[in-house]
Amino acid sequence: MNSTWKKLAVSAMAAMLLFTAAGCGGDKKADGDRVAAAKDILRVGVPGFADSLDPADRCNSWAVMRYGIGETLVRFDQKMNPVPWLAESWKMNDDRLTWIFKISDKAVFSNGNKVTGDAVAKSLLRTFEKSPRAKTMFQYDSIAGEGQNVIIRTMKPVPTLPGILGDPMFLIVDTSVKDRDYAVKGPVGTGPYVVTSFVKGKAALAANERYWNGKVSVKKLEISPIDDANTRALALRKGEIDVAVGVASGDMALFKDTTKYRISETDSFLDTLALISVREGKPLADKRIREALVSSLNRQSYCKVLLRDTFIPGGPLMPPSAGYGYDELIKLDKNRYNVERAKKLLAEAGWKDTNGDGIVDKGGKSLEINLIFCSNLAELPLFAEATRSDAGRIGIRINLKNVDDNELNKIRATGDYDLLLSDVAAEQAGDPAVFLNMYWKTNRDGCNSTNSSGYSNPKYDELSDRLAVEFDTNKRRQLVIDMQKIILEDCAAIIFGHPRTNIISGTAIVNAEVQPCDYYWVTGDWTSATMK
Amino acid sequence: MGTLMIGFKENKAFRLFTILMFLLIAIALTAPFIAPYDPLEAVMRNANMPPSAAHLFGTDKLGRDCFSRILYGAAYSLGSVIILIAMIFVVGTTLGVLAGYFGGWADAVIMRLSDMMISFPGMILAIAIAGILGGSLLNAMIALLCVTWAKYARLARGLALKIKECDFVLAAVVSGGNHLHILLTHIVPNILPVMVITAATDVGAIMMELAGLSFLGFGSQPPAPEWGVMLNEGRQQMQTAPWLMVFPGLAIFITVVVINLWSDSLRDVMDPRKANKE
Repeated sequence: MNSTWKKLAVSAMAAMLLFTAAGCGGDKKADGDRVAAAKDILRVGVPGFADSLDPADRCNSWAVMRYGIGETLVRFDQKMNPVPWLAESWKMNDDRLTWIFKISDKAVFSNGNKVTGDAVAKSLLRTFEKSPRAKTMFQYDSIAGEGQNVIIRTMKPVPTLPGILGDPMFLIVDTSVKDRDYAVKGPVGTGPYVVTSFVKGKAALAANERYWNGKVSVKKLEISPIDDANTRALALRKGEIDVAVGVASGDMALFKDTTKYRISETDSFLDTLALISVREGKPLADKRIREALVSSLNRQSYCKVLLRDTFIPGGPLMPPSAGYGYDELIKLDKNRYNVERAKKLLAEAGWKDTNGDGIVDKGGKSLEINLIFCSNLAELPLFAEATRSDAGRIGIRINLKNVDDNELNKIRATGDYDLLLSDVAAEQAGDPAVFLNMYWKTNRDGCNSTNSSGYSNPKYDELSDRLAVEFDTNKRRQLVIDMQKIILEDCAAIIFGHPRTNIISGTAIVNAEVQPCDYYWVTGDWTSATMK
Repeated sequence: MGTLMIGFKENKAFRLFTILMFLLIAIALTAPFIAPYDPLEAVMRNANMPPSAAHLFGTDKLGRDCFSRILYGAAYSLGSVIILIAMIFVVGTTLGVLAGYFGGWADAVIMRLSDMMISFPGMILAIAIAGILGGSLLNAMIALLCVTWAKYARLARGLALKIKECDFVLAAVVSGGNHLHILLTHIVPNILPVMVITAATDVGAIMMELAGLSFLGFGSQPPAPEWGVMLNEGRQQMQTAPWLMVFPGLAIFITVVVINLWSDSLRDVMDPRKANKE
């Protein structure tokens, strides 16, 4: 290669680099225009993805409610107690089957139609007609409207009916509107916002000018699904969004500057837990191995150090915020971090490292446990890897299997796991009964198919049956505590921790508060000092 | 081998990059002895520590030493790439030579199969295959083998077709040489240099693709100290712990550059046309 060619090549390379660098700079004017144009729109980055806004379609009602489009008869307060929303009061008749909900006289749909008892009844019936999940919540004998009252008669006593009706699935829509594509335009609801467009999961919303429950300050909202927590944090830092829902623990330090950002954090009602399969033939069918494994895990350290205090360490099934005896129960937990105890338990069960490979064995078989997890949430792979590391110290080999969400659900249904790690709502519809029954009530002849772990304890079942028909709040609380004691004693699950959830916004945004109940994100109370 | 030795003595670039290649391989082989910490041992109180004297490349989210993980990662990444390229080389070359030499239905079947594989975008097809098989290093290797063999088969077929018509092959046929003898003695040795150079040139690209699949979650799985996996893990803390992305990224970059430069110089050394010119 002669020198002329070399010079030419170097020049060409330099020109290309300059060209690339110019591309990185961006068009400041265009950016400025975009920011100026966006001043009248509040942009929110959220996790998750709803491909339809029909509340009866799968779990899309969550998005409809979180985006402030729909509302339910009751809502949940900071302690997950049902409080009035569209229904201003309710009462149960002496027969314990008939409930009367009185709808607020002020309530109107976004199209101006009044929310009457009849409209609510038709909306609830639509949910039952279209959503198979509704029937699993309660079974009705009749639902009818009478003036501003809606009268629901259930087949069996349902002590938690008001809470159940606070589930987003039962949000109230105007069924008199027939020619509307709910999937794309969303339902005609009673929330502070209405849908102007919904394309590829991105929702453009406008203030509901007829909102019945106060004035809506934010006139336009844009809700963008950004699944990756790190990308959401980056978008907020860069100013591409004004509010981020759910920033990962690792990124929280980026928003320390209180002159720029406002962090709203709260203890959630979620559990990060590992279901334990105790089926015959599974290694964890032996209680001593379960106890050894759980004792080897330094859950305090995972939550305090690795997750930087964004999780409350687990032990009992219910999080402390739920008020079901967390402090009392965690003291009773004999499987708190204790490596020596863990080793002793393994030795008592006959597991010893005879071949010096660091893994305990018995009858020529090493102790190996399969842990299935999904990495859609940042903390799940972290807990999985930490478990692998800590269990390895006492000679248990944990084989990690990372699968996608659908696969995880399939495996959970078939029970083909030793440990299955996921996030679960500990209070559904404002009550722990659904959660407590789902995974641990005996699955006799397929009557509780969600319990795939093979766990069964007649005493637990008896308490569960009593809980199902108990109306007294104090007695219900005691039953839930007693059920948790059994699970702790049997070491039937590993509760890693309870996440603190957050919403981070610029300081110009007011009232963007995260709620302990995950149903509510955008509310009509949000205001912005910088918006037109 | 003789050509390589002469090249090593006479070609400065080849000498330099061969030494660097040996250095990389030495790092990979001696990782267990030179790594200061166990790459899988989590020391949680040390989580996310920036680079320091105790931890040259800092620590990750579980307090594992990044330097040790990168050293072990060399063995993991280089080893898997070498095995994969060997598999691609053997499968692609064998099928290509058979197609070119025998022609007829064997040629038609093998080449149509290869046309089918080539008609899909490679990485997308690899992601699809790895996605169906499930995330693991072995499955990622199978996926890349499925999409890459066709290139070698087409090249080997073309070379075999050309050599098949040469006088010395015709002479061997006339002398009563059987197919196996002709293939092993006359065809394969003559196409080998070009195939080897192609394989050497592809090592860097394959390494990037394998790391890419691991980055996307279709290849090696945590806690394996594989560079693509480490990049993906670091991505989640890109802003608060940038060293978790920088060092695995640098490791991939340096390794791929060294391999590419070495394979370029290897081509210079082994290229018969260049030898003829000289």
